[in-house]
Parts: sequence; structure tokens; C-alpha cells
Amino acid sequence: MSWMFRMLPTCRDMARLLSDSMEGRLPIHVRMRMSLHLRMCVLCEGYKRHLALIRNVLRKDSARLIETDRPEEPRLSPEAKERIRRAVESSRK
Amino acid sequence: MVDRPISASDRWIDDHGDTLYRFALARVRNSDVAEDLVQETFLAALQGTYRENGPTAERSWMFGIIKHKIIDYFRRTAREPLRESADSQSADEDFLPDGHWKPEMAAIGGWPEKPDGLLERKQFWAVFAACLENLPPRAAQVFTLREMDEVETEEICRLFSLTPTNLGVILHRARKQLRNCLSGRYFGRSQKVEGA
Repeated sequence: MSWMFRMLPTCRDMARLLSDSMEGRLPIHVRMRMSLHLRMCVLCEGYKRHLALIRNVLRKDSARLIETDRPEEPRLSPEAKERIRRAVESSRK
Repeated sequence: MVDRPISASDRWIDDHGDTLYRFALARVRNSDVAEDLVQETFLAALQGTYRENGPTAERSWMFGIIKHKIIDYFRRTAREPLRESADSQSADEDFLPDGHWKPEMAAIGGWPEKPDGLLERKQFWAVFAACLENLPPRAAQVFTLREMDEVETEEICRLFSLTPTNLGVILHRARKQLRNCLSGRYFGRSQKVEGA
């Protein structure tokens, strides 16, 4: 069995490959070795699900990231608002 | 300033100004540039022919405009190729020398199977926003364009003069750091509960 483990990607390799596989299709031999690793490794299997979850929540509703009501949420300063207001007004004349 | 009639653009600034600003700031990471982009967005909106009603539709319309303004901004400002340190292997503190996850990374519980329940939780999004802010600026920028604005990989490489390998490394690190941050600060099983 040990020869087989040696040809499989490590967890460190897997983290990178799992990210890459979200960007495009990887070659078949790479995908096969990844799926063998995933079958034996709950940590990488979990990591894969977490990355997918992160992608899914953002694709569903990332607008919520800018509506969190945190006190430290950045806002336009009153000066900036006034500047923008003037610019918009002068453009309509 | 004397009082004046409240015009549509006044209302826009009050209704959407802060939101558009935050949206732009998360991407360009520069407050002056973000303010300018908000202004350009309103100016473009004035020229536009917008006929639908309702604040939600109006907001998505403006988001559509500012997304284009942001990409245009990245196109205009020719970027230096990014030099992130190439030794990702040695700098990678989440793994043991033999390539296995470190034991503390084994705390993987607490994550739900499906995203649905999370979407309504303000606390989740607040933690998420804080975790994103902790990323290195360029990583946060690239990750945001890729995962939220769904800009294609090739387009991001062009905008920032990155090779696909550079981009792969940046996205990989951003994802891993975000996942660790969410595990620690929200899903929480990796944190010891005091006095338990």
C-alpha cells in the first residue's frame, strides 16, 4: 500500500489543488489522485466542503457583506458627500 | 448653503452613497478612489435611462454601474506585476513538514452542510467582513473580484498583470486564510470555551 500513498498528493498539495480546481478543470490524472486522497482524508474532505460553502454564500448574497451594521463600517464622510452632491448638481446644469 | 429642493440625486447620495462607497472600497482599497467612483456612478446614473421603480431595483442598477467603473479603474491604472513571496511551501504554517495538516487544523466541526441558514445571520456576515479585511490588500481585492463579482480568471490576470500561477497562489492563500478565520471566529470549534 505504501507505494500508493507516496504517489498521492499531500494535504499541503491538496489545499492548493482544491483551490485550483475551483478555477478550472484539472487534468484527469490529477483529479483521480485527488479523489483517492479525499476518500482517505477527512481533513481535506472538510476543507473542500468549506471552500465550496464560502463560494456558495458569496455567490448567493455577497451584498450582505456591506450591510452588516458593524460600528466600524466605513462611510462616506460629510465632506465627501457634499463634494459629490456639488459635482452631481453642476453636471445637471 | 441655502435650502433647496430635494432632487433625485440628493436622495441617491443618502440612500446609496455609503453602500456604494463600501462596495468600491472593498475592491480598490483606497478611500479617495472609492469616493471618486461613487461620484462617477451617480453622474453616469444621471445620464442613464432608468425606468423601473423601487429602492431595491434602483440599488442593483447602481451596483451594475459601479462594477463597471471599478473594472475600468483597474484597466486605466496600469498595474505593477505583483511580487508576492514565491516560497509558499516554507511560509505555509498550517502544515507539518511532511505535508499533513497540523493537529490544530483538525478542528473541522461546526461548519454547516448548506449555506442557507447562514445567509440570514448578521453576525456571520460581520465576522466574514472582518476576516476579509484581515487579508493582505491585494489578496482581498483579487478574491473579491473573483468570488463576488465573478470576474473571469483571465480577466483578473490581465487587470493586475498576474500569471495564472501567481493568481492561483493568491486565491489559494486567500481561501485558506478566510477558512481558518471563519473556523476560529465563527464556527468556533477550534476555540476552547473558557470555564467549560
